[in-house]
Amino acid sequence: MPDTQWPRYEVFKQDAPGQPHRSIGTIHAADPELALLIARDVHVRRPDCASLWVARTDDIFSMTADELAAHPDWAAEDIPGGAVAQTFHVFQKTTQRRGMTFVVHTGDVQARTAREALRLAMQRFPKPEVFVWWVCQAGAVTRSEPEMESSWFAPARNKTYKQQAYYGETGARPEGSGAGDEDDPHPE
Amino acid sequence: MGDTHEGHHANFEARIARGERIEPGDWMPEDYRRQLIRMISQHAHSEIVGMLPEGTWIPNAPNLRRKMILIAKVQDEAGHGQYLYHAAETLGISREEMLDALLEGRAKYSSIFNYPTLTWADVGMIGWLVDGAALKNQLMLAQCSYGPYGRAMTRICAEETFHHRQGKEMVVRYARGTPTQRPMVQDALDRWWWPTLMMFGPHDADSPNTPVLVRWGIKTRTNDELRQEFVNETVPELLACGLSIPDPDLRHDETTGNWNIGPIDWDHFWQVVKGNGPMNRERLAARRQAHEDGRWVREALAGYAQRQ
Amino acid sequence: MKTIHTLSDLDVALAARLLALADDELILAHRASEWTGHAPILEEDIGLANIAQDELGHAGLWYDLYAALAGSDPDRLVFFRDAGGWRNVQLVELPKGDWAFTMLRQYLFDSYEAALLERLAEGRHEGIAGAAGKIRKEELYHARHSSAWVKRLALGTEESRRRSQDALDLLWPYTRQLFIPHEGDERLAAAGYAPRLADVHDIWTAAVRSHLESSGLRVPDSPGVAVRRDQHTPHLTELLTEMQRVARLDPEAIW
Repeated sequence: MPDTQWPRYEVFKQDAPGQPHRSIGTIHAADPELALLIARDVHVRRPDCASLWVARTDDIFSMTADELAAHPDWAAEDIPGGAVAQTFHVFQKTTQRRGMTFVVHTGDVQARTAREALRLAMQRFPKPEVFVWWVCQAGAVTRSEPEMESSWFAPARNKTYKQQAYYGETGARPEGSGAGDEDDPHPE
Repeated sequence: MGDTHEGHHANFEARIARGERIEPGDWMPEDYRRQLIRMISQHAHSEIVGMLPEGTWIPNAPNLRRKMILIAKVQDEAGHGQYLYHAAETLGISREEMLDALLEGRAKYSSIFNYPTLTWADVGMIGWLVDGAALKNQLMLAQCSYGPYGRAMTRICAEETFHHRQGKEMVVRYARGTPTQRPMVQDALDRWWWPTLMMFGPHDADSPNTPVLVRWGIKTRTNDELRQEFVNETVPELLACGLSIPDPDLRHDETTGNWNIGPIDWDHFWQVVKGNGPMNRERLAARRQAHEDGRWVREALAGYAQRQ
Repeated sequence: MKTIHTLSDLDVALAARLLALADDELILAHRASEWTGHAPILEEDIGLANIAQDELGHAGLWYDLYAALAGSDPDRLVFFRDAGGWRNVQLVELPKGDWAFTMLRQYLFDSYEAALLERLAEGRHEGIAGAAGKIRKEELYHARHSSAWVKRLALGTEESRRRSQDALDLLWPYTRQLFIPHEGDERLAAAGYAPRLADVHDIWTAAVRSHLESSGLRVPDSPGVAVRRDQHTPHLTELLTEMQRVARLDPEAIW
């Protein structure tokens, strides 16, 4: 592979136990173990995070509402005879609000292929409006372990010098509108 | 909606008018894609080159807290470059293409990073002025119609606010500090004030791109609007510190409330943009050196991955 | 205000140990931070900067405990002390070298810290145990990071393997100093505040040998020279000259 062009991985973060994993961006890495380390360094420098997932972009089957409308036969495929059902994670983007929200993990389906998974997901997780669908085989995801929370993520809470609220008000005027207030996973 | 190009185009513009976000995979005009690649990659390059003016002062930071803060700030800038390269990649350009363009001197980036940082006080001044100016632009771009760019900008704004505040904290302290600090920070202001104002770009009358960018939900405020807003906010605060602004023509207009600046030296601006600023060559050379020196490392990672 | 002369023998031993712990972290953090903006991949401009910040924080924790005993302000200690007064090991003051050198050094030191902190966290000194417990958590991540890099560089290409071996050959003799007992260490061990370094040495040796050898590297035979912590290479003076330059412009200034 060329010099700086490693595979692209999608990164998903769970803010707190019980919350769904959300897409927060992408990284490049040469292998999955490194991908998790890099994802943590690039995307989780500030609180809060309970769990981190990475999956190669190539392993994610994505369809936007636009694409679904443009390709009505998107689901057509020949499923090989011996294909076995696997667990697929399903992610949806269901809002047009500005801010950080993109696709969020809604649930899982059992399917033999990605297209089948998406078909099933559309039945299982119907929503008034879904703007983007992603499905990804659970086996393709590299995940942080629960015991990593205290060493990988929790220490960020003490690094208050990275938070704007830590700096005393020094100017005469109040701060301008804080971008990222909407849907900002790191309210300052 | 029709399958024709016009049909797609009309649908696309209707979506933007409705405030919808365009996501990777959606249909988009070729020009939209190209403009965004240009804007996003320039922005990414700016973050990367922008690490160097302040990064050079990390070894000299004069106390533990400042050292930690400065490392965090420069680290954030690398992170911002990352978010932006990744956003650009969703539009079909590779990171390698973008990096090659930067390192070979073909890519544009914000010319503000072609000025030298001569003293420790520059670090504070950059945080207050340069990051403050960047924030204005970025707050606007956080509303951008293209999903990955808008989200990257939202994230960047949240992090950049700390950069801005810690810079202000430094300048306010030094402006009221010791006989070593006060002239140091005034000198920094004297050197950074005009380059910061030029960050907002040419006057509106000289900016041809703006109308289509407005229609496509990419740019919603003009250069002059943002510049005036910045000046109105920053001038009173600088004066309140006891600093003087290096602009003999600066006047406060009682009726409009605006602070009106003197004429900008655009010749100087274009010289710097074209690559004749003091630090252009040096900064790119540093980046190129790091890239070259790192080749064997990147090859090692690929080699290891292949064996797994 | 206490001076170092009014402290008990145990406190003197404690203070010396704390200063050594702090100085090790501080100098290593400085070396790590030198890569910011120059790392071989953009991701490591971020990754190693994280480590540098963590280590500065760790140094701060140890300096605070030292200050509680000896009454000196951490910033004063760091920015106005000449080389002769520093108590870090030579391993951390060596220039950063190439990426293999930095990663191998980081790995060797991280492994030492892991073994040492585990014991310090179980010790009877509340302040030390508390600090060690906090630091250990972040060090778990550091160890993951540096050991992953050592493996990849050692097993990557012929060039990266050669550079890794060269780095290890250079660094190994300096690791001896990590395990040389300080004056007063027996008192600390007797009080249950800190482990004997010989014990830590055994744990460390087993762990690093295993990882280095499974990465295809040859662990050198050289025993290393026994030097005291008040003995430094010229590199420390160079480092301090740069690090203290702005602070020394004006000792009265608050930056």
